[in-house]
Amino acid sequence: MMKTTHSIGLGLLLGLILGSSAMAADGGNPKKGKHLYKKECKTCHSKGDAAGELTPMSKTMAQWDRFFEKDMHKGKPEVFQKLSEQELKDVQQFLYDHAADSDQPQTCG
Amino acid sequence: MRTLISLAVASALGFTPLLFTSQSLAADNTANSDQAKIERLQQKIDELSEELADLDTRVNKTERHTALDRITFSGDFRTKVHSLHYRDVTWNPGIKMNFDDFGRRAMAGEYGDPMDPTSPLGKMMAANPDMAAAFMGGQLSGVMPWALGSTNTYDIDNDLFYTTRLRLDIKANVWENVNFAGRLSMYKNWGDSTGVQVFDSWRSFSMDGTNSGNTSGDWLRVERAYFDWKNIGGSEFYLSIGRRPSTYGPPSNIRENEQRGGTPSGHLVHFNFDGATLGYNLGEITGIEGQVVRFCYGQGFESQWGNGELFGNLVTEDTHLGGFNIDVINDGNHFVQLTLFGAKDINDGFKGSMAFPNELAAIFAPTMYQDMQKFDSFNFVTRVQPSGVIGDMFLGGLGYVYESDEDFKAFASLGWTRAESNGNAGMFGGLLTDATFTGKLSADGSELMMVPLAAESDAAHDGYGVYIGMQMPAPYGKFGLEYNYGSKYWSPFTQAQDDPIGSKLATRGHVVEAYYLFEVNPRMFIKLAGLYYDYEYTGSGTPVGAPVKVDDVMAGSAVSLLPVVDTAVDLNASLTVKF
Repeated sequence: MMKTTHSIGLGLLLGLILGSSAMAADGGNPKKGKHLYKKECKTCHSKGDAAGELTPMSKTMAQWDRFFEKDMHKGKPEVFQKLSEQELKDVQQFLYDHAADSDQPQTCG
Repeated sequence: MRTLISLAVASALGFTPLLFTSQSLAADNTANSDQAKIERLQQKIDELSEELADLDTRVNKTERHTALDRITFSGDFRTKVHSLHYRDVTWNPGIKMNFDDFGRRAMAGEYGDPMDPTSPLGKMMAANPDMAAAFMGGQLSGVMPWALGSTNTYDIDNDLFYTTRLRLDIKANVWENVNFAGRLSMYKNWGDSTGVQVFDSWRSFSMDGTNSGNTSGDWLRVERAYFDWKNIGGSEFYLSIGRRPSTYGPPSNIRENEQRGGTPSGHLVHFNFDGATLGYNLGEITGIEGQVVRFCYGQGFESQWGNGELFGNLVTEDTHLGGFNIDVINDGNHFVQLTLFGAKDINDGFKGSMAFPNELAAIFAPTMYQDMQKFDSFNFVTRVQPSGVIGDMFLGGLGYVYESDEDFKAFASLGWTRAESNGNAGMFGGLLTDATFTGKLSADGSELMMVPLAAESDAAHDGYGVYIGMQMPAPYGKFGLEYNYGSKYWSPFTQAQDDPIGSKLATRGHVVEAYYLFEVNPRMFIKLAGLYYDYEYTGSGTPVGAPVKVDDVMAGSAVSLLPVVDTAVDLNASLTVKF
């Protein structure tokens, strides 16, 4: 029992030393980003749209980060310009979290 | 090339001597300026050409790598230490005898002359004088418990129990609408790769459906392997066949700190099945995000192949499962799941392996036990298969998970199980009913053995389960609380949960769990958890045998062939890395 206490104490200590926020790099909220993505992105990027279908799986995590750092929707910059910095971070976080190489729900179909 | 042309033009024009007039000087300056620009541009072009050549080389390597490496691997690695404490473990071995049937056979002389101490019945009466006296005095009739040992109650403390779990997830794109997914997993406790455990509980039985959640040694097993064929013929239908993703389903994935880990409700099904799913993405029609209707089919037991069928004496049947698994909505904030399954021809067990417990040999195999006593620490490993069909089962459930935008999660799941006994029973019982035993002579007529005659009941029994919990962001990570309850006849298929004490969601009684997750980084976390089990009825995790009150076993008024746990505590700490 004493050994157990030591083990748990060590784990707690490690957690306090190493612990960091679970939110991703830029502090974006992925759930808020999803709402924005549906509202702002899917209007032009759904299946059959002229702009071409786009889903989070269209790019890898690194590619989404590059897109937000460098490209900034240069094909139609006003789309990004009307969003606040925080909103852009939220969308970026959502796309990053659901990118082609991100952890995916493991279900069939 | 352009440089050469520039030089040629320059030499053609520039070698003619010029008069140093102001006009010519200006022209000369302009020429020099243009020349400088051309040289700078040329340098830029050379640099770009060099960079393009370098990029081309790198992209070629990447393309080749992508084309040849058709499988992508990811996974996770978990090291966990448990401190396990069992309280009031009681073993009161015994069986339920049908004394009417036994008496009728005895009176007919089937077991020999009771007055002859050398006859099978005489020897048995000599070995059990109290029972013999009660029987001869007419005190034993109908179906009554027959204790085969004395009631023994004790505590068990396993202060340190270490495990290592490695899971390698495999993905491969077969075609634009076909992909393959698989998982290889190793789950071992430290210092053990025997792959088989002494049979002291149903949890300890090594079998196909539960191997992924039972420590089995240092080899990788195929936990799941299946393909998905989506948008069949341009429709919203999909087909998936293989070893199913039928573990870690919602909401049981929340305590694992991972996304949905399987298709079916984790409250009802946490079991490795081989089978198929035909699904339809109904959300594409209704507009409800994540709405999917699935018909699932699987086989949980193969009754013939490998069971000695060529001897022509098999009495088991294939066990087939089928039913519906419906995601009503799954939009990231709300998840509602409906489940309805049926299992036809449940047998009184599965194929599997065990280290045979000497304790049971002492009771049921006295001749063999004579020699086994000479090797106290030896347990022979044996392959086990069920002895017959005991009935049909049904499972149903409704689950809801809420996730706020701020990452607060709460869930509630209601489960229902129904077992319809057909009146048959094996050694450990029928479908949620006990076996009644009678006497039978061994092949050479020298020994009177106790054998199952029939199930005590062919009644149907309904069981109910509740599973609620929450997880909230907390300093350095997340904090979670969970509670689940199972009624007397609660019998879900969750035996592959890797809780060492036993699947917490299969508990007939109460379980409370609290945990704290320290997020070291997005791909690494430490989890500290405590679980408290309070078993009310026996047989958690198996539909075989009648559940009886744990208190009755402790009091000696009920018997159980396997030890029974009253309460237990599992304190654990784990470190998980995802890669």
